[in-house]
Amino acid sequence: MKNLYRKGFYLVLCVFWTAMASAQQVNPTIKSHLNGIVLDAGTNQPLPGAVVKIRGTTHSVSTDSDGKFSFVTGQSFPYILVVSFIGYDQKVLTVNGSPVTIKLEETLNQLNELVVTGYSTQERKYIAGAISSVSGSVVQHQPSGGFNQLLQGKTAGVQVTTNSGVPGGGITFRVRGNNSINASVEPLYIIDGVFVNNNDPINAGLGNQAASNPMADLNPADIEDIQILKDANATAIYGSLGANGVVIVTTKRGKRNTKAAINLSTFQGWSTAVNKFKVATGPEVALLTNESRLNTAADNGLDPSSIILPFPDPSNMPTYDRISGLFRTARTTNYELSTLGGTDKSTYYIGLGYLNQESIVKPSNYTRYSGRFNYDNYLSDKLKVGTSINFTRSARKLSGSDNNPTGVINSALFPRSYLPIFNADGTYARYGSFDNHLALINNLDSKAVGWRSVGNIFAEYVFLPGLKLRSSWSVDNTSEYDNSYSNTLISAGIASSGSASSSETKIQVLTNEQVLSFVRNLGADKKHNINALIGNTINTILNQSTSASGSGFAANSLKSISVAATRSGSASRSAANLLSFFSKASYTYDGKYTIDGSIRADASSKFGANKRWGYFPSGGVAWRLSQEDFIKELNVFNELKLRASLGLSGNQNGIGAYAAQGLWSSGANYLELPGIAPTQLINPNLTWETTRQFNVGTEFTILNKRLEIVADYYNKYTYDLLLNVPVPYRSGFSSYLQNYGAVRNKGFELGINSTNIQTNAFQWTTNFNISFNNNKIEKLASDISLGASGRNISILREGYSVNSFQLYKQLYVDQQTGNAVYEDLNGDGKITSADRQIVGNALPKYTGGLTNNLSYKGFDFSFFFYFQQGNKIMNMNDFFMVHGGTQANIGFLPRQLDRWQKPGDITDIPRLTTYSGNPTENGAAANNYGGNVASLSSRYLEDGSFIRLKTVTLGYTLPKDILTRVGISKLRVYVQGTNLLTFTKYGGLDPEVSSQSSNQNTVGYDWATVPQPRTIQIGANVTF
Amino acid sequence: MNTSYLRNTVLVAFVLLSGSCKKFLEEVPDYALPSSSSITDVSTARAAIVGTYDRVQNYYSSSYPTLGTITADHVIFNGTLSEYLQLDQNAIPTDNVITVSAYQSLYRTINSANSVIAYIPLVNDPLLTDTEKNKILGEAYFIRALSYFDLGRGWGGVQLQLKPTTDLTVLKGIKRSTLDQTYDQVLADLIQAEQLLPEDATTRNRAQKSAARALRARLHLYRKQWADAETYATQVISNTKYTLVKPYKSFFTAPFQTAESVLELAFSSNDRNSYWNLWYPSSSGGQFTLKPSDGLIAKLNNPAIGGARKALIAGTGATVYGVLYNTVGLSTDPAYLIRIAELYLIRAEARAQLNKLPEAAADLNAVRGRADVAATTATTQAGLIQAIEDENGIEFAFEAHRWFDLVRTERAGTVLGITNKNYWLFPIPYSDIQSDPDVTQNPGY
Repeated sequence: MKNLYRKGFYLVLCVFWTAMASAQQVNPTIKSHLNGIVLDAGTNQPLPGAVVKIRGTTHSVSTDSDGKFSFVTGQSFPYILVVSFIGYDQKVLTVNGSPVTIKLEETLNQLNELVVTGYSTQERKYIAGAISSVSGSVVQHQPSGGFNQLLQGKTAGVQVTTNSGVPGGGITFRVRGNNSINASVEPLYIIDGVFVNNNDPINAGLGNQAASNPMADLNPADIEDIQILKDANATAIYGSLGANGVVIVTTKRGKRNTKAAINLSTFQGWSTAVNKFKVATGPEVALLTNESRLNTAADNGLDPSSIILPFPDPSNMPTYDRISGLFRTARTTNYELSTLGGTDKSTYYIGLGYLNQESIVKPSNYTRYSGRFNYDNYLSDKLKVGTSINFTRSARKLSGSDNNPTGVINSALFPRSYLPIFNADGTYARYGSFDNHLALINNLDSKAVGWRSVGNIFAEYVFLPGLKLRSSWSVDNTSEYDNSYSNTLISAGIASSGSASSSETKIQVLTNEQVLSFVRNLGADKKHNINALIGNTINTILNQSTSASGSGFAANSLKSISVAATRSGSASRSAANLLSFFSKASYTYDGKYTIDGSIRADASSKFGANKRWGYFPSGGVAWRLSQEDFIKELNVFNELKLRASLGLSGNQNGIGAYAAQGLWSSGANYLELPGIAPTQLINPNLTWETTRQFNVGTEFTILNKRLEIVADYYNKYTYDLLLNVPVPYRSGFSSYLQNYGAVRNKGFELGINSTNIQTNAFQWTTNFNISFNNNKIEKLASDISLGASGRNISILREGYSVNSFQLYKQLYVDQQTGNAVYEDLNGDGKITSADRQIVGNALPKYTGGLTNNLSYKGFDFSFFFYFQQGNKIMNMNDFFMVHGGTQANIGFLPRQLDRWQKPGDITDIPRLTTYSGNPTENGAAANNYGGNVASLSSRYLEDGSFIRLKTVTLGYTLPKDILTRVGISKLRVYVQGTNLLTFTKYGGLDPEVSSQSSNQNTVGYDWATVPQPRTIQIGANVTF
Repeated sequence: MNTSYLRNTVLVAFVLLSGSCKKFLEEVPDYALPSSSSITDVSTARAAIVGTYDRVQNYYSSSYPTLGTITADHVIFNGTLSEYLQLDQNAIPTDNVITVSAYQSLYRTINSANSVIAYIPLVNDPLLTDTEKNKILGEAYFIRALSYFDLGRGWGGVQLQLKPTTDLTVLKGIKRSTLDQTYDQVLADLIQAEQLLPEDATTRNRAQKSAARALRARLHLYRKQWADAETYATQVISNTKYTLVKPYKSFFTAPFQTAESVLELAFSSNDRNSYWNLWYPSSSGGQFTLKPSDGLIAKLNNPAIGGARKALIAGTGATVYGVLYNTVGLSTDPAYLIRIAELYLIRAEARAQLNKLPEAAADLNAVRGRADVAATTATTQAGLIQAIEDENGIEFAFEAHRWFDLVRTERAGTVLGITNKNYWLFPIPYSDIQSDPDVTQNPGY
């Protein structure tokens, strides 16, 4: 009986088991057990998270935290295992018994890397497009907020300028040059699949400086790697968003079956100014003013002896130092805490960060709190869900309008140095239009607090091996809350008894996308590799802003707008929608020949109903010559690939949400009655700006993979520019947005990675990259002049590159008369506006970087040079402060002392005078500092080329055997210097500057800007 | 069954999706009207003329009075912004920010006025009566006349745009007119305006018949049509709605809108005019870019010349500043376009030119008497004309008069030392020279 029960039980169990097994379609027959361990071939350390797969089956497992794995399989020995792990060469081996030890070789070069391309991941060796990859470690532990600014000099094809030394401030980031004039030239940033906003949300006026770098909201410590998609083949899949390049950021995620690791890191930095402003002393200012008065009298035909000098005794004038009150030793503090790991079903990464950074010019600072949570869960073999969430709170103390008379720097720089800083009664003294710099530093109260949440949830379902559907829903919500209060101690608040403004800006980017992808090796011997996808996205960008202002406060301690005597408010909203469908296919034969193509269709609500849709195809080919026998026989190349691509991509960013519509705007009010007035002309044919790009490149490694070289040539032609064509003012409008004009960028990029020395104890690697870009406006309706507060120093002109400077070309200062002589371009014998000409350009001819990493046992040492050559800088500080005496309320820069004084003097600074007669006469006194030239002289334009020792780092990693005793698995301490040396001919404070950066066409001005600081930092990273 | 269900679902989804796609791609702003249906009913008609006044405010709040003052001898540059220095030195680059901004705003005003003139007659709304239509049209004609007059006296004969800019083709082929042609257009518009505009006993912040007549008097004065100038000035002066207010400073003291004003554009805390900022020193929160000259200060302080007009300045020593625009912090100063005092001086000058010397002296003395200054001692024709010029310089020290008067009477060379007549006109903006094949630059620039 007992036996029967037992048999019955076994029978039921067996039925259930069979039912379950058949339901799961798993072969129940067990033919072998395999246990093994995967180790790093170099260090013999276990590799957790490596994927071990039996070839010819779908059966794969991941190694656990000790690098171990086990199989229970229906395959019988022997069979072939495929073992892969990111960063290591894939290994294929035949096993004929258990247990087995598998050693993986670390990948030394990029060519086998998996690369995140548009909507898919491909092995680098099959890719036909131009894509740069940068490891997250490159942008970590640096005294800068934004990862994008740290890509400067790190990879070819990208030009990065930090516009000022204000922490968290704006940067200029271009992939292969400026494609556009009025539409955006910013790349598309994608973080973990989320299209993120890159518009500066801060409303506070900073005198045309970009107040923030929105990418600084992403903590660089969270970044795993960065891919920069440069050519049409890589970017066309992003269609309308990809013309300016695409920056794909992947943040850290845990690996399955790994033990939790906890990382703690910190650094402390001290920053100082490399150079400080210098102004003429009191006696010098007095001397120059006297001299100007005498010269002017002579020009007016008066007897100099009849002139009463403004300063009878210049040498007795006092000097008050305003500059030293401006600068400080600025502190930077950074803490990071993160953990990552995974179980067999899920992975996680949690990162927390804190950064506080002061500006070297008071009183700006920047604080960032960030938190990230990445989580993936494999609900079943076929279904995976995951999320990436990032929260950031950024707080900036702003110093408004540095280049406005009531800004901090101008208020210190411009007043004449013999004027006291304080009045006799101890109150702040003000002169002319300028405020008092100390009053500003002590009382400025302008804060911008941003809350940024970037979140994404996705699900992936595998229908068949290789056929996967991914749906993702994401949001990027930027919420910026700015509050500014001017009390009665600063000039902005004096007249109004205190004034306050407050604004809340929300920028929301909502994206939904579906991608069905198919990746498969087909054919008998797997010679056909197919990677194809089809998908769609729905994207909405919503901008909303509400602001209020008030003036008249009972006391300086009261700053809530609700208690102001007069109050006003405003609100705005705009929305733009984008609908896209795309498809891409890539085919590789035998690992040698790749051909791929993609197409994307986009429709934007910004465009006229007639031409809403744009279609952007691309294609590329790649040939891995290193797989051909005739190359193998040479025995030179470890890898050799040629690739070429051609395609179109579009641009609609940077124009208004309603740019195609004819509008009569309301708000033109009078007598408290609502008014409307025409503000925009209709353009129903407005459509996509299109970039056609051709790219040809090669990648090869030689010398036993020790030297890796990537070289690319590209030619980009952007046509149907979204151009604000200036129209005659008599139309009642100043410009009309239409598709007109063309810009070409062509260039060459070279990247070299070299492993100079590779022994167990000593490693030395070098990375060098250089990028040449040539920009040219090929077609333009008419010249467009702009910049420098209406002085039109920047110009866009057909046949020249964007960011050109137009000035009167100063030929020399006449040795006899001391008057400046300009080139009379049209030869009419007069100096008029027709004689202004393009005398230089703000774009460098080439930029690049050289990084060396050395390590010896526990020590690591690295140094990094950045260089750029061929760009010009318009020195606005000189323009204003080398004024020849024309500005009675402004002091002088020391350069004014080089002025012509007597016949025979050789200088480029003309004789001091304020004479204004005959403004058209060349070589006459009027045009020295005034007249038709109005100081728009090429003498204030300087060469901005430089080479900079950007960073030097020395680190030490403590030996493991000591650390394990105290439960620490890794500890590194380091000291780093930033901006230690700069080699340049530029006469201003710092050649890396762009003060008018809120407009992409007014690059290259130096105008009362905080210079880049020199920073010394110490830091430590601990892993538990 | 299953497949047809699926097929139907896909079909329905597709239809819904393509419908919603179209909708998804159509976004309209919530702050603006489409230009195709901007003026359609009574409320948009009213809003359109209000918007045209707003455009006049734009150039009369700051840029135009600056062009009429700092360029001459009574106001000098005291700041740091080089665009004002250029005007003070009468060495004006073609991209001088103030001249460009004024020129641009003037044509923007004209385009608004042109739109009202073109579209109001087409509005078919019973709530928009003919009376109101005429009033709106009259205001538009007046504003267009004012703008072309202000262009003509600043830049010379300009391109005459008389139709709204619906697209750029309407611009083609319009060359610069002569100054006479520009002034003829002004006259034609003023005749229309005078017919269409109403007149009541109180309105001073919008154009009425008297404003049209006053501007017409000024136009005739500029064109040296003395008899017409006298006629139209008389029409305004004889209207009891206007008197020379006493004391002098009461017309520029809040709440403004005094009987002095034939036309003054009002501002409010919602619609600010911060022109005071250019006149007040930084200790009062201003920029002090515009400063009364020492010569003017002396005249204003002289009881025999300035009299009560001493109230135009305040401060001591190096910090004497103009206080015509004085709503510091509040920023509600009006823009003074036409005051009755001007009509007296127009008539005085016209009568002097017509050799009606006692009548001319009487008009001049009316203005002097209001400022508590003794009657003029001038008796000859030339003496009176000079006395009227001097009176204009004091009476309208900080309004858009002195420069234009000296250019109109061709005295800018003698008084200001600008002997090269090319510089009596402002330059056409640099960007227009670049973008407009039909425009020519004024000589000398």
